[in-house]
Amino acid sequence: MNKYKLTVSHAPFWHDGDSLFKMNLNIMIAALPAVIFGVIQFGAPAVGVLALSLSSAMVWELILNVISRNKITIGDLDSAVIGLLFGMMLPATSPWWLVITGTFVSVVIGKMIFGGIGANPFNPALIGMAFLILSWKIFFDFDAAYLNYEFGFTALAPLAALKAKGALAVAGLFPVKDLIMGRQVGAIGCTFGLGLIIGGIYLILRGYIRWEITISFILGIIITSFCFNIAKPDVYAGPMLHLFSGYTLLGAFFLATENSSSPVNTIPMFIYGFFAAAMIILMRNIGAYPDGTILAILLANLVNPLMDKIRPKAWGKGVNNA
Amino acid sequence: MIRRSFFTLTKLRLDYDLVEPDTKEPESIPIPSNLILLLNEPIDSTKIAIIKTGDTVKKGEKLRLYNESYEYTISPVSGTISEIDTYSDDFGNNSTYFIIKNDLNQAGGADTLKYDLKDGIASADEFLRTLPGAPPLKTLASDDIKIKTIVINCGDTDLLSTTSQYVTLNFLDEIKQGAKLLKKITNVPKLCITIPENLNIQGEFDSIQVFKTSMKYPSNLPAMVLKKHLNLVLPPGHTPEDLGVCFISAEAVASLAKAYKTKSPCFEKILTIIDKQGTRYRVKATIGTSLQKIFKTFSIHVNEQDRIIIGGPMKGFATYTPVHPVQPDMDTVIIQDRDVIPELSDTPCVNCGKCIRICPANIPVNVLVRYLEADQYEEAADRYDLESCIECGLCAYVCTAKIPLFQYIRLGKHELLKLKADV
Repeated sequence: MNKYKLTVSHAPFWHDGDSLFKMNLNIMIAALPAVIFGVIQFGAPAVGVLALSLSSAMVWELILNVISRNKITIGDLDSAVIGLLFGMMLPATSPWWLVITGTFVSVVIGKMIFGGIGANPFNPALIGMAFLILSWKIFFDFDAAYLNYEFGFTALAPLAALKAKGALAVAGLFPVKDLIMGRQVGAIGCTFGLGLIIGGIYLILRGYIRWEITISFILGIIITSFCFNIAKPDVYAGPMLHLFSGYTLLGAFFLATENSSSPVNTIPMFIYGFFAAAMIILMRNIGAYPDGTILAILLANLVNPLMDKIRPKAWGKGVNNA
Repeated sequence: MIRRSFFTLTKLRLDYDLVEPDTKEPESIPIPSNLILLLNEPIDSTKIAIIKTGDTVKKGEKLRLYNESYEYTISPVSGTISEIDTYSDDFGNNSTYFIIKNDLNQAGGADTLKYDLKDGIASADEFLRTLPGAPPLKTLASDDIKIKTIVINCGDTDLLSTTSQYVTLNFLDEIKQGAKLLKKITNVPKLCITIPENLNIQGEFDSIQVFKTSMKYPSNLPAMVLKKHLNLVLPPGHTPEDLGVCFISAEAVASLAKAYKTKSPCFEKILTIIDKQGTRYRVKATIGTSLQKIFKTFSIHVNEQDRIIIGGPMKGFATYTPVHPVQPDMDTVIIQDRDVIPELSDTPCVNCGKCIRICPANIPVNVLVRYLEADQYEEAADRYDLESCIECGLCAYVCTAKIPLFQYIRLGKHELLKLKADV
């Protein structure tokens, strides 16, 4: 009866035009201000680390795709985002093998063995970072990493200095303005606070990250560190130093908001962000690590499935009128 | 197609289309030489059919397959049956189609059968089920279902569609008469009418409660009207009829009034055709006319791999043949070019949470889809609210991973019903 074939599929026949590729591309675009600043500040080695990190992350996924004889999935740019965020968390002087080992752990162990995109229970980039920090702690001593650099500002990693000397000793060394404008020592993509904030706000406005997580995360940092600061101002630094140093802002806008390892319901999102931030300050102030961001967010990832059980009742459930 | 806006901090909002202010008279499509009728009963080869190919039928004659058949359809023309065969829908449910060769020698209209319509719902159900607008007379006449409220839906349930609004504006008197008639023949105590808030309706509806519905999709869906205006929440797995509420389209009410006035059926269905450029054509066609015939009238070309959508972009269905007939409940037909058909993917859910934000029924779609992908239908219904879905299609519309969520949910409900039937 038909001379030609029509396309038949199920409703809806419209789509809002969004895709994983677009989402991940936007996350990478949002990371650009901080990345470009890092490259200007730390020079060619930073470019090397970022390029190697991004490309090796994609190659690991490709290799896994080929080995497991699955569809090639690097086109969705998920591994590219993991690689980029991973590179942003490294010091510019990281050796090549460190980067490749890190992306291997991130992409293969953090993501692919769980089943690829969407199946990872933890933020893959953080899995890789946690692995490196626990294994080769020495490379994450930012003071040692940038020994050969000449900076026009206090060349001390703020959080390490804070840990070693206490708040009173570092008071005045790190003005908030310097921290925001990137005049601090740190990982490639984490020093330029303003850039991260601009990128993060862009992502929130575009709807690619959930603002509830970011806001509660930042509030968590401010409130928790303020409480510590009030109790012992000599030992514990105030909220501003914590907020604009280390991995905090990257965590708030890019790491804690990673889709599949964070909650989606409103109340859990607030709890999750606040919990992760409170853990960071706890680790920084009483823990052994100068910057607890990575482990704290991983811990929050761990309890995410439990938190996400708090959800509104669906229509008609729990109503006995039938 | 409505794309996502650049800034999406606020929740996405899809609005119903408002009928154009200066409504033109619909284009009448001449009655074609061959009409296709669908009958909601599968062919059973073990029974002897009471109609067969070659039988002559009169305009307005009831067509039933078997003596004990409860389902029927009405022939809109006088002629001969040239084909009877099986039609399958998208869920594999079988029904029957008839092709009736229009006997052009007889002058149409003059020999239309007159019905002996009495003031009772059973009498209406006996003859008027296939009126334009498809009045739910079967439900109203059923002894098992107690309907306490009838809601006349003057708003269109899907996007782009404006047929119901057009009918409301142009046949307001008939709708009022029909509403009175409905009340008389059904004895239903409560009669309500939903009117889109932006639709400018003159005059009053006496003794009918008027609900102004918002222009925001999906506020015209039955479950939304129940919740917002009648304060009833649909329990999972139930229909509005289970709560004693029956929804009827404006066109059905108007045609009921006409049918009772003339004591004969009417077959002219008003529908909106939307072509690839988005141009709207209002059409008056006889039930059973093939869509291809209508497309030809407006020189709309349907090419290979295009999509013909019947219903609307969110809740409709795609037909596999351009000779699909005009049906009593067919309000809108959309032709979608193959270049703008959005692709679907088999990427797993990435948990972005857009579906959670947009779902009007608070369903945890992100978890639900994982169970549905694994065929865990009972678990999905018990713990993740599969049956609470009001089938608006918004989750699949916003899905970043382009998962056919709505299809998964419909399939899940379908399989669940089968599982329940087996027990």
